[in-house]
Amino acid sequence: MMLKMTLQGGLIYLTLTLFLAAGVALRRGSRTVGRGFWFTGFVVAVMSVAWRGIHTGHPPMQNLFEFFLCMAAALWPLSQWSRWRNGLDTDLKDALLGAVILFPAGFVLGEEVRRLPPALQSPLFIPHVASYVAGYVLLARAALMALPLMRPSNAAARVRQTEAAVRQTAVSGFVLLTLGLLLGSIWGKICWGHYWQWDPKETWSLATWLVYAGYFHYRLKNGARAPRTLAALLWLGLLFVVLTLTWINVSRMFSGMHNYA
Amino acid sequence: MLTGPGVAAWVCWLSALGAVALAFAGAERAGAFMARPAMQAATLLLACAVGFSGVRAVTRRRFDSALIHLGCACVMAGWLAGRYAVRTATPDNPANGSMAMIDGDVSDKLWEGAYLTNYVGRVPFSVKLEKFIVERYERNADDRDAGREGPVREYRSRVTVSEPGAPPYVANVRVNHPVRVRDYHIYQMSWGQSQDLYGRPVTYTVLQFIRDPGLPAVYAGFCMLFGGILLFAVRVFRLKSPRDEEEPS
Repeated sequence: MMLKMTLQGGLIYLTLTLFLAAGVALRRGSRTVGRGFWFTGFVVAVMSVAWRGIHTGHPPMQNLFEFFLCMAAALWPLSQWSRWRNGLDTDLKDALLGAVILFPAGFVLGEEVRRLPPALQSPLFIPHVASYVAGYVLLARAALMALPLMRPSNAAARVRQTEAAVRQTAVSGFVLLTLGLLLGSIWGKICWGHYWQWDPKETWSLATWLVYAGYFHYRLKNGARAPRTLAALLWLGLLFVVLTLTWINVSRMFSGMHNYA
Repeated sequence: MLTGPGVAAWVCWLSALGAVALAFAGAERAGAFMARPAMQAATLLLACAVGFSGVRAVTRRRFDSALIHLGCACVMAGWLAGRYAVRTATPDNPANGSMAMIDGDVSDKLWEGAYLTNYVGRVPFSVKLEKFIVERYERNADDRDAGREGPVREYRSRVTVSEPGAPPYVANVRVNHPVRVRDYHIYQMSWGQSQDLYGRPVTYTVLQFIRDPGLPAVYAGFCMLFGGILLFAVRVFRLKSPRDEEEPS
């Protein structure tokens, strides 16, 4: 645990406070106030990413700290898109998800500035990382949106609507996951000489991709007849995402070529 | 029948489990394990099975599924082709190797091993290192532990490539900018400092040469796979009512 006594830290803590305040307000039923906090939190999160970019002089996507800042800023637009698309109100869950994502950036990870090494100076840097940022956020949201499916329910229409929204969110995340994987692969060929080197992070990303591929096959086979299994599968996928982001990044056991974070 | 999406789901999950096991093994051991003939055969089998699903999806006019599965099969086939090139490489036609050079060196010989001591073969052209250049960032207050000099911003080898029957030309090999000569990509792999025979300090550069005939298949597979997944996503978004539910293919 450490506090950041910098402008960057201040912006992160302000975002965190706003997200939590939004969560509390929405939980108590004051929607306008809650959404106001939620949107303001988004604006501050964007400022936080922008300041990081100005301060470091490169796109703020180099390490896990910057990755989490970007994820927090990507949440609000994706949440709005989901409401517009599926008519689901996910503000409360998304605001709390934002707080969870920002917590390590605020209290665990350091904010040291490292200049971009030659390997990261590539036009594929931003697309590769940004695909994963948005993809992971969407897949995390899919798992959160699937929570109501875990409870036994008699309202078949409601279940069907939720399940459809969950599947659409998951497929959007899957498209971006695929894009990130393929762009990373092409970048690996250009930078390291091979498109696939069995680097632990590569291999974990492939495993994550395969878990979601299994989900879509299962959904195709059984339809929405077993919503609880579908929800459980999305949580399994999220477990892989979280492991890829945390354990694989931090643990010595998985040291490899992706050791920038 | 051992086909259909229900079985495919389990194939995906078991492969995911296998990938996790390979991640625990580490890159080196995982690579060596996957290079075994048995694993190559297993990959070939998987590629055939996935390709079969793709062809069947075409006959059922499920083009998203067809593109995804044929794309995956294409990627696996390209990977196998690359492994085959490594397996059948000869000293006259090497697939993979490096050369360490100092300014002024001319060579067409490739080496491998941790200290580049094992001779691999010769490439059908020669490379002369004109100059190796390291550029650094300006030092600033954040560089407490980076030594006396600032962190490296760029390193590149300016080389002259001489192919038989063609005029020689100059090329810059840098990180993220490999140079293509004949069937080979030349990569700026690393660099370091050492001493020559008289104990004078020299800076050397390591260039890696890679020939991978499977690459076009892999990239074609990537395009098909991504196109197919986009089509699949569009279809998922178009489904409005339960009546539109798709039939499994």
